[in-house]
Amino acid sequence: MSKPAGVEVLVEGVSKSFGRIAALRDVSLHVAPGEAVAVSGRSGSGKSTLMALIGGLEQPDRGRVLLDRLPLWTGRNPARARREVVGFVFQSHLLLPALTARANVEVALIGAGVHRGARRRRALELLEAVGLSDRAEHRPAELSGGERQRVAVARALANEPRLLLADEPTGALDSTTSERVLDLLFGLREQLGMTLLLVTYDHAVGVRADRSVTLIDGHIDSATESLVG
Amino acid sequence: MYAIISTNLFRRPARTVFTASGIAVGIAMIVALLSFTRGLQQTAAGFVHLGGSGLGVFQANVSEPTASLLPEALVGRLAARPEVARATPLLLVVEAVKGADAAIVFGAQPNGFFSQSLVVVSGHRPGSAQEILVGDRLAAQLRRRPGGQLVVHGRPYRIAGVYHSGILFEDSGAVLGLAAAQQLTGRTGEETDVVVQLAPRVRAGAAARAIENAFPGTQVISDPEQALRVGANGTLISKAILVIVVIALLLGALSVVNTMAMSIIERQSELGLLSTIGWAPSRVAALILGEGVAVSVLGACAGLLIGVIGGGLLVKALGVSAYVSPSITAWGLGRGLLVGVAIGVLGGIYPAWRVARMRPLRALSGT
Repeated sequence: MSKPAGVEVLVEGVSKSFGRIAALRDVSLHVAPGEAVAVSGRSGSGKSTLMALIGGLEQPDRGRVLLDRLPLWTGRNPARARREVVGFVFQSHLLLPALTARANVEVALIGAGVHRGARRRRALELLEAVGLSDRAEHRPAELSGGERQRVAVARALANEPRLLLADEPTGALDSTTSERVLDLLFGLREQLGMTLLLVTYDHAVGVRADRSVTLIDGHIDSATESLVG
Repeated sequence: MYAIISTNLFRRPARTVFTASGIAVGIAMIVALLSFTRGLQQTAAGFVHLGGSGLGVFQANVSEPTASLLPEALVGRLAARPEVARATPLLLVVEAVKGADAAIVFGAQPNGFFSQSLVVVSGHRPGSAQEILVGDRLAAQLRRRPGGQLVVHGRPYRIAGVYHSGILFEDSGAVLGLAAAQQLTGRTGEETDVVVQLAPRVRAGAAARAIENAFPGTQVISDPEQALRVGANGTLISKAILVIVVIALLLGALSVVNTMAMSIIERQSELGLLSTIGWAPSRVAALILGEGVAVSVLGACAGLLIGVIGGGLLVKALGVSAYVSPSITAWGLGRGLLVGVAIGVLGGIYPAWRVARMRPLRALSGT
């Protein structure tokens, strides 16, 4: 696998509401290229919304998100950014149940218009990287929780993202499997040099990141922002 | 993409089969009617060239060519035209033969070119008004031979001979003297049409226009499609096909809309995921549109098969199998398939549009 440089993330005064509920209020954050930042906070504090805004899944009501100094929505097409720059891993693996592990990884490459043969090769390469080459032709129902999450990681890496957004990637896993998935994520980040943002409840995850920020009621709590690791 | 489409189609096999079946019924009706019309057209070709004629002159604005009535004096005036080599009157008597409703009895002058063109394969030509010639197909159908009897309009005639002409209508019917036919039907001095052989180097189209101009109130039929249009049945069938195509399109499209709308509600988070991992909205929409087209094409293929079988059943059900054979053409099948694709595209547009507008985060959370 090639080694893409990490992307610089700049969140400038971003606010986002869903109906009457204000999820984020005037949030600003800078993440340096290749940095690993853990975002923690209570349920409803706006962690997932922040990830969605950085990944271009939602548009901010106010403020803007810049990836490598290019603003999403105005200067960079969000769907294209998700295809070329960003990779997502969710708490729920969100694999397509009717497809095999290999096909699930290939799906991300279909979006990028990669040729069939190259897709297949890349998917097998990635499954090998996450230790699942022997499970390539198994469907999600035939895989364990940890294996499914590793397939989801492989899918997130398919387009060689320079920014990996992981929203509670170990939330549904037992502690041993969580450790393995975290080892995988941080190992790949080391290997590929990409920027990593992790939403987590787990303090142990925050400890492994370069820096940790905490969200409280839609604000970044500056008192908790710290350098770790 | 194709693999995902086919996988998704068979995730709910019963739903796919039911949707495709609905489309298949519509397509089958279209194909059956098209093959029937084509068969009718081929039969009409024989009707135009009765007795080896170049064209036929009928009364204008009649519901059916057989309902036409012309004065007997018209024959002489037609024969005098420069574009006409020979003309002979015919009186068509329909639904008159006992045991063979589809058979037509042709009242024709014994010395006219129509009667003279018939090849008598057994027996002899009629020697009196009480004798009749029977076409070989009708003779075979009713198991009649020379010397036997044929009942027309309740009146028995002695079969003088059996003929073959090579024209389906003629071979499936019988020929009586014109005077005898007029007497039988109470139409003395009248005829249904005049069949005309054109002079050398005269084109049928030009001759038809000249005759229609010279004899107002007449209509000249010189090609099979024209023959179909003149008859109310042909027009009705053509219109019925159009109506069925429109109904099939609407019902099929609604059924695809319903199926695809249910499918996108069920798969909301999956479709949200595709957006999340970078599929452009147009690509996700194309996936849904592709699934709609695929289920329609499946239905259309089944419909083509049923339609081919149904065409044969249709002519039997209408009791016209004696003189209409359904004709399947590649273009007829192609039209059925095109309607199937159109159903898929029409039915897939709305669900595809909805998917394209889906917000990935909300779709992922299933809200």
